[in-house]
Amino acid sequence: MSRALKYLLLFLSLVAALAPVYWMVTISLKSEVDHFASPPPWFSFTPTLEHYYEAFVTRSFAQYLVTSAIVAVISTLCALILGTLAAYALARFRLPYELDRKLSLWILSTRMFPAIVTAVPLFLMMRDLRLLDTKVSLIIVYTAFNLPFVVWMMRGFFDEVPRDLEEAALVDGDSRLGALVRVVLPLVAPGLAATAVFCLIVSWNEFLFALVLTQTDASMTLPVGIAGRVTQYEIKWGVMSAAGAVAIVPILVFAMAMQKYLVRGLSLGAVKG
Amino acid sequence: MSIRFQNVSKTFGDTLVVDDLSLEIDDGEFVVLLGPSGCGKTTTLRMLAGLETVTSGDIYIQDERINDVQTQHRDLAMVFQSYALYPHMTIAENIAYPLRVRKLDKDERTKRVNQVARMLEIEPLLSRKPRQLSGGERQRVALARAIVREPRAYLMDEPLSNLDARLRVQMRGELKRLQHQLGTTTIYVTHDQAEAMTLATRVAVMSRGRLQQFDTPLTIYNRPANRFVAEFVGSPSMNFIEGKIENNIFVNGSIRLPVTKPNRDQITIGIRPEHIRVFTEPQDGAMPANVYVTELMGNETFVFLSVGNNRLIARAPADFRAELESLVWLQIESEKAHFFDPQTGLSI
Repeated sequence: MSRALKYLLLFLSLVAALAPVYWMVTISLKSEVDHFASPPPWFSFTPTLEHYYEAFVTRSFAQYLVTSAIVAVISTLCALILGTLAAYALARFRLPYELDRKLSLWILSTRMFPAIVTAVPLFLMMRDLRLLDTKVSLIIVYTAFNLPFVVWMMRGFFDEVPRDLEEAALVDGDSRLGALVRVVLPLVAPGLAATAVFCLIVSWNEFLFALVLTQTDASMTLPVGIAGRVTQYEIKWGVMSAAGAVAIVPILVFAMAMQKYLVRGLSLGAVKG
Repeated sequence: MSIRFQNVSKTFGDTLVVDDLSLEIDDGEFVVLLGPSGCGKTTTLRMLAGLETVTSGDIYIQDERINDVQTQHRDLAMVFQSYALYPHMTIAENIAYPLRVRKLDKDERTKRVNQVARMLEIEPLLSRKPRQLSGGERQRVALARAIVREPRAYLMDEPLSNLDARLRVQMRGELKRLQHQLGTTTIYVTHDQAEAMTLATRVAVMSRGRLQQFDTPLTIYNRPANRFVAEFVGSPSMNFIEGKIENNIFVNGSIRLPVTKPNRDQITIGIRPEHIRVFTEPQDGAMPANVYVTELMGNETFVFLSVGNNRLIARAPADFRAELESLVWLQIESEKAHFFDPQTGLSI
């Protein structure tokens, strides 16, 4: 492929990816008059922080941000811990009647139906457990939905680690769990990091269950909070854009911090050593 | 520590891998489990280490039954064929690992690691990572990790098989010295009979999951219990000729050898290559043979011969020269021959 064509494609995909972001960021910085100007002022407008002030000071978006962070981080941690242990067991132990293989498939099958079919059952369950409108309900649901993903990702990474290493650790006097923590986990760390990024993104952006299970500012997450600014009387484009622009930042920072692991993690299965 | 296998069997699914193995190893012995791949020797070692469960039978260390003791509580040290060094740790951390999990304090750990590193001459490598090391160096580190503590026994699973030939011979010697110095019971698995002969105080020859013979290297070589042991130990391999014994003469076609055995219709005679002498000129009592091929090894020559339908290998001096298909004469030292039952393979 010629160089020019390569750059053209690169440019087009960049435009496609970044245009909405550009639009959101500029809207968040424009005064309301400029929002509806035609043609829109692409670059020449007087920037203002009034929407940011309205969102995070006048309205409760700061609280949504904190809720989102708590829910995303805790559910990611829970999914990683539970899923990693399950994946290790499935990767290493042969269960009778091929149960290890069947269990893996069964775990995967929980991701095969559309999430929305569980919305009503989950709502009823959370109601009976008196967990509606709490962060705990979201943490539980997000953990459950990330678990299959973690199990399958981590199982692949564990399969790559030679058994000899754990056996050596056992003979050296370490326990199973000690060998897992001290020998195996450091070796699958890139995979763990990649998995963590995906879980975090999924939980951070999740909208459906947050909408169904939360009602008040006490447990509302950022995506639900933003969508809530579309009302029958007005659509607060400025506030929504400001909140959206802020919502991107933590994931962007985290993904950049994990970038070197991300690439290694994703290619870990492909190349040995 | 003494180690005892008592009627130990192991099956994987329907496959019998180790079949009713009984073995008593004395304290301080260097025992080599020798056999071709798939003979169950590695499985035996892994059962002792607790990495495989025992299907039936018992394993004892110093009269303590260890079948149900978990690997980490058996207090054994193992050197793996792949070395199994922890890739994310430095060499020093690798060697210190068994001490770390035993919660020794840091000063003591450093002291012990340095001591072992000095002994195995790997001090300059301590701050490196395993991937920066050559095969021979990794081998030493794996060894260092095993001897840094004082386990009840060392288990070694083909530890030299990934080294090149020169290094293998060198490490073989060092292993022997090391074990002599430490005096710790060692069980060593290999398919290389040269390693078995040089290292072992006693060799356990295994085939298809069964123990064939358990004795000193010299006895294994000089008085093999059956045809399998006779064939597996010794290089080049022992010659076998089928035939019968009539009036103290072993007969197979043109081959006639004086023996002192009762008459038998069917018998297998085994002759080591060094017990066949080859001459280019006719000799008294020598039988004619054709040269199939000769292999000059430097210090000696292997002569492959055909006598009737039989193929024989003889060891000749390095200066032996003969054209292919040329006629030569053999003298077989039949008083050093071994006799086997053709049906059971057992030595007679």
